[in-house]
Amino acid sequence: MISAFKKRGAVLALLFAFALVVGACAEDESADTTTAAPATTTTAAPTTTATPATTQPPATTLPPPPEGNTVLACQVSDTGGIDDASFNASAWAGAQQAAAELEGVSVEFLESTDATDYRANIDAFIAKGCDVIITVGFLLADDTAAAAVDNPNQLFAIVDQSPGPFPPWADADGALLSDFANLRGLTFQTDEAAFLAGYMAAGASTTGVVGTFGGLPIPPVTIFMDGFVKGVAHYNSVKGTSVTALGYDSDSGEGLFTNNFDSLEDGRSFAETLVNNGADIVLPVAGPVGLGSAALCLDTGSCVIVGVDADWNNTAAEFSSVILTSILKNIDVSVYNTINNVLVLGSTGNLFNGTLANGGVGLAALQDNADRVSAELSGEVAALNDAIVAAGGLQAFLDSLVDAG
Amino acid sequence: MATLELKGITKRFPGVLANDQVDLKVSSGEILGLLGENGAGKTTLMNILYGLYGADEGEILIDGEPQQFSGPGDAISAGIGMVHQHFMLVPVFSVTENVVLGVEPVGFGGVIDMKEAKKEVRDISKQYGLEVDPDAVIEDIPVGIQQRVEIIKVLFRHAEFLIFDEPTAVLTPQEVEEFFGILNGLKEAGKAIIFITHKLKEVLEVSDRIAVLRRGAMVGEAEPATATENDLATLMVGRPVELVVNKETSDPGAAVLEVRDLVVIGDRDQMALAGVSFDVRAGEIVGVAGVQGNGQTELVEALTGLRDVTSGTVKISGTEVTHATPRQIHGHSVAHVPEDRQRSGLVMPFTITENVVLDAYYEEPYSHGISMDWKAAREKAADLVEQYDVRTPSTEIPASSLSGGNQQKVIVAREFGRDVKLVIASQPTRGIDVGSIEYIHERIVEERDEGAALLIVSTELDEVLALSDRILVMFDGHIVAEYQGGSVTAAEIGLSMAGAAP
Amino acid sequence: MTDEPKGEAPPEMNGDADNGEKSGWAAFMDDLTGVNVDWRSAVLVPVLAMTAALAVSVLIIVASDIELWRSFSISALGDSFGQAGSAMWALLTGSLGSLAAVSSTLAFAAPLILAGLSVAIGFKAGLFNIGAEGQMLMGGMVAVALGITIDIPVFLNVPLAIIGAMIGGGIWGGIAGLLRARTGAHEVITTIMLNSIAGLAVVWMLSTKFFQPEGRLDPVSEDIAVSARLPRLLGFLDRSDVRVHLGIVVALIAAYAIYWVLFKSTIGYEFRAVGFNPNAAHYGGMRVTWLYTSVMALSGALAGLAGMAQINGLLYRASPGFAAGIGFDAISLALLGRSHPAGVVAAGFLFGALRAGGIEMQVATDVPVDLISVIQALVVVFIAAPALIRAIFRVKTGEEIGQLTTGWGT
Repeated sequence: MISAFKKRGAVLALLFAFALVVGACAEDESADTTTAAPATTTTAAPTTTATPATTQPPATTLPPPPEGNTVLACQVSDTGGIDDASFNASAWAGAQQAAAELEGVSVEFLESTDATDYRANIDAFIAKGCDVIITVGFLLADDTAAAAVDNPNQLFAIVDQSPGPFPPWADADGALLSDFANLRGLTFQTDEAAFLAGYMAAGASTTGVVGTFGGLPIPPVTIFMDGFVKGVAHYNSVKGTSVTALGYDSDSGEGLFTNNFDSLEDGRSFAETLVNNGADIVLPVAGPVGLGSAALCLDTGSCVIVGVDADWNNTAAEFSSVILTSILKNIDVSVYNTINNVLVLGSTGNLFNGTLANGGVGLAALQDNADRVSAELSGEVAALNDAIVAAGGLQAFLDSLVDAG
Repeated sequence: MATLELKGITKRFPGVLANDQVDLKVSSGEILGLLGENGAGKTTLMNILYGLYGADEGEILIDGEPQQFSGPGDAISAGIGMVHQHFMLVPVFSVTENVVLGVEPVGFGGVIDMKEAKKEVRDISKQYGLEVDPDAVIEDIPVGIQQRVEIIKVLFRHAEFLIFDEPTAVLTPQEVEEFFGILNGLKEAGKAIIFITHKLKEVLEVSDRIAVLRRGAMVGEAEPATATENDLATLMVGRPVELVVNKETSDPGAAVLEVRDLVVIGDRDQMALAGVSFDVRAGEIVGVAGVQGNGQTELVEALTGLRDVTSGTVKISGTEVTHATPRQIHGHSVAHVPEDRQRSGLVMPFTITENVVLDAYYEEPYSHGISMDWKAAREKAADLVEQYDVRTPSTEIPASSLSGGNQQKVIVAREFGRDVKLVIASQPTRGIDVGSIEYIHERIVEERDEGAALLIVSTELDEVLALSDRILVMFDGHIVAEYQGGSVTAAEIGLSMAGAAP
Repeated sequence: MTDEPKGEAPPEMNGDADNGEKSGWAAFMDDLTGVNVDWRSAVLVPVLAMTAALAVSVLIIVASDIELWRSFSISALGDSFGQAGSAMWALLTGSLGSLAAVSSTLAFAAPLILAGLSVAIGFKAGLFNIGAEGQMLMGGMVAVALGITIDIPVFLNVPLAIIGAMIGGGIWGGIAGLLRARTGAHEVITTIMLNSIAGLAVVWMLSTKFFQPEGRLDPVSEDIAVSARLPRLLGFLDRSDVRVHLGIVVALIAAYAIYWVLFKSTIGYEFRAVGFNPNAAHYGGMRVTWLYTSVMALSGALAGLAGMAQINGLLYRASPGFAAGIGFDAISLALLGRSHPAGVVAAGFLFGALRAGGIEMQVATDVPVDLISVIQALVVVFIAAPALIRAIFRVKTGEEIGQLTTGWGT
């Protein structure tokens, strides 16, 4: 067969290969830029880790890592892939930062192409001898829980999940399947930051209408929308105004959803609908779909955007002029922190619950649209931040209002 | 004066010598009739000439210059034009669009100049007497006109040598006459023409010289002035052939098929059948003559359950079957030889065996319940191939690899190869060779003599005249005339076919 | 088969000139299968296409190695080829190198084969079922619904899941068939639309109390009963990494059943007749519109089984998009297997091996798992363009695969 691979065939194959190379290079570049983007956001990470974490000993008090200690940290992505410009990428950015800054840390990842890969990938990493396996997203919850039960000596961390008395962590009767001492949940009270964003948006809106929409009606999405709407309601009750929040109803859980996480066109038309109903500030909670909304605002000048997950002034700098602020969900910080714990303490540490208090969530700094937010409003948001931290969380804060009222 | 010459062309397919040292020559202003049975190697020879196959030996010369054709494109640019038996037209395109396809005259900015194209089409049709409407859509125009479009297409590409592959197979008698007029016009305009056919009468009528091909080899040339049909048939088939159908006078029995006031709507929402009534009796062959497109197709489809009947009744052996399905009709011992064997008579990629059970696969012995019995089917196919002289190396080869005549024999074998009370055959010998025609005609008469009723629809007037005990002439959805077979001339029927009152 | 052509005139050779004379083993294969196939081309083309695809993949790995382009040298080139070599070796060991690897290949192959059969039977009847993905989802959801509500002994519960999934997928496919038969709506369009509807319907269903386990808010269903799981074939080994389950047996039985239906049954004869020539099928007394509906329903039922194999064999619960693109891979599979059940089985093992090997490749090298998709795509490119194969390998591969389906609006 090799001898049959004559000149003409070889030339043909080379031509073909060349075409593919060109394509592959182009792809690599784009991949670099997308993975590079979250990395820029992590430059702010050290400052946030410096703030005391309630559930963790402060980073500064950690003893120096034992000499010659090494950690192999391994991440399993969900089907979105490692460069999804979303939580997989954000977690990987934290891992890469750990590898770059911490002596002895090396990192690896496996991408899953479908749900049947999750367990296979986890098993492959166990076989490889990873010190800690970081899985990303609710889709991996079942397989991570099962693997953690099956391998009690293997350390795990999972983004956006934490063990509780319900499946997949417990049986149908609510009895935990294990103590999950080897597993750390990395969760984020994004509703706290979204609450601040809602308050700020209500104060900054000139039309008296703000809006939000989501990708799918699933908890990691609706928690943003819920906090945002509650923040608007709080503004109204404090100020006696009647700013309307479109797109989500906290009581029924119903709202506007694109039902996908990739159509920029949907992002545009959903934002347009909200704008047509009077909204001048829009919170899109659907990953890249929101970029379509930002494009609409940029084209029409009729709205500004509240970004999610990362600071969009960095990740979507071309839209800076229409970005009010962003609701930060610092997954990278939690991953970095977890790897550091494994390196220094030999364990993952307890549940990481990202809050305003520990810097796991927060609002990004105002930039181009800072003039929309009065100094007074800024002050109120900062005070609200402190109040939530002081109350020990958003729910406690809201409860204290009810008690007081 | 241009000359096209083939010298010593030999083409072998595995196990078959398709062309054996064939020599052929044609010059400007000349019509060469190329006669041969289907399977004699005519089509292979023309495909070599048209650049579709490479010859194993021999050469093609134009004006003495050897040519190298690696595809039809080369042949076309060398001035060779081919009008295929099966038209290569895009049904939803207009005449002009089809003509210019691939060689579109391009105007400013790369836009097709349809106006210019239309003008050229008009010019060509005027020059050669090829009357067509340049704006007509192909699927709406009759076959005869479609053929003209094919000719215009070839002339549009400046062909000097025109090859017609079985051009009259799809034409009505009138269209054939018109076509011969066109051929002569082309000849006088200085074109060299190769006219491939197996129809003796036609080749004698129009050719200047006749070459006969048998089993891949050139077996002789003949002068139309001196040769007779019998001479040619003997040359072509390799044995003496009966050209007339020998049959006893009929002895009709009770009516098997009774059609009353049948009204059927056609594909273009026209009234295809406007109240047709007739009987076909046992032991009788009724021929339906008429120019194509006067309701014959719809009549056959309505009788065989393939088309909805609007009003009127159809009875077979006294049972009403007006709205019966094809399968129910089949169940009344009706044989149906469809008009277009490739479109509906055969599943071309299926083997002969698979085709032989196409309308009986659900019955014993070919299936038991839902399970096919391929052994039984293969045995039946082998029987029929033997009995009906289908020339094939095996019953397990696809129908597509058979010649047209053998494909038709497969259909006839399938339909006649069981007990039938009524035969409905449409164009039973269209486009097939003399030997096969003779054979199929014998079978049709045999069925009659065994007591079946036969309805034969054909646009070949000679065929209708030769076979029929009774002749119905259709025009515009009506039966306009009825004649007794043997007592009527082609000229009389021809008048009725054109709509003149008898 | 080896008879000389009888009669006086040689047959006109319009089609494949080799038809009259098959070699001994090809004739044997015909006898074995009862099908008339150009075996040389049916086996040779896919094998060569696979070889070519792997060769091109090696070139891609080498050419996409950034280090190589930064500082080109012979040793760097050697390193790149070394990397490509280890990737290929990892593919091999990851799919066939151990009991766990083989079992993983078989576990991945089961839904692929079932979905591939679904598309293949559509092709045979001239229908292009792009909706296997949606039909998988619907079949799988029925299996989940049964699995979370019914807990009866395994020998009853598994067949129940199989039947339920076939009904679920069959209805979803049958809708497209019915639309085609009744209104002429092209199945390509309707199945694409039905895919979207199924995808969103799954998300909606998973957010209902019926499917969601108590206390959980993610769109992930409750686990199906243990008795509804497809039993692990090597369960007695008690190794969690040996995942091969009953699904592969179901797939092989289905493949044989489809083979039997297509080539040995009256309905299969009707399917193929309609696929090649609906006019002739109508002439032969077949109810063409009814056939379209039943082909699509059968096709959907097979896809539903694939969804069941995914759910009851590996996942044990549903999450959005659990069909994971298998319904689309199935189109490649059917092409690769030339719409013949045996070919689909072979292609299913191949794609299953690629998936299983892809994990090992990711672990052992830096080659991204996307390469697996590239290899699959390349195989299809080479299959769809036999001329390329002919040019590269200088072999005669017979005719092109030809028209697989009827055109738009016909």
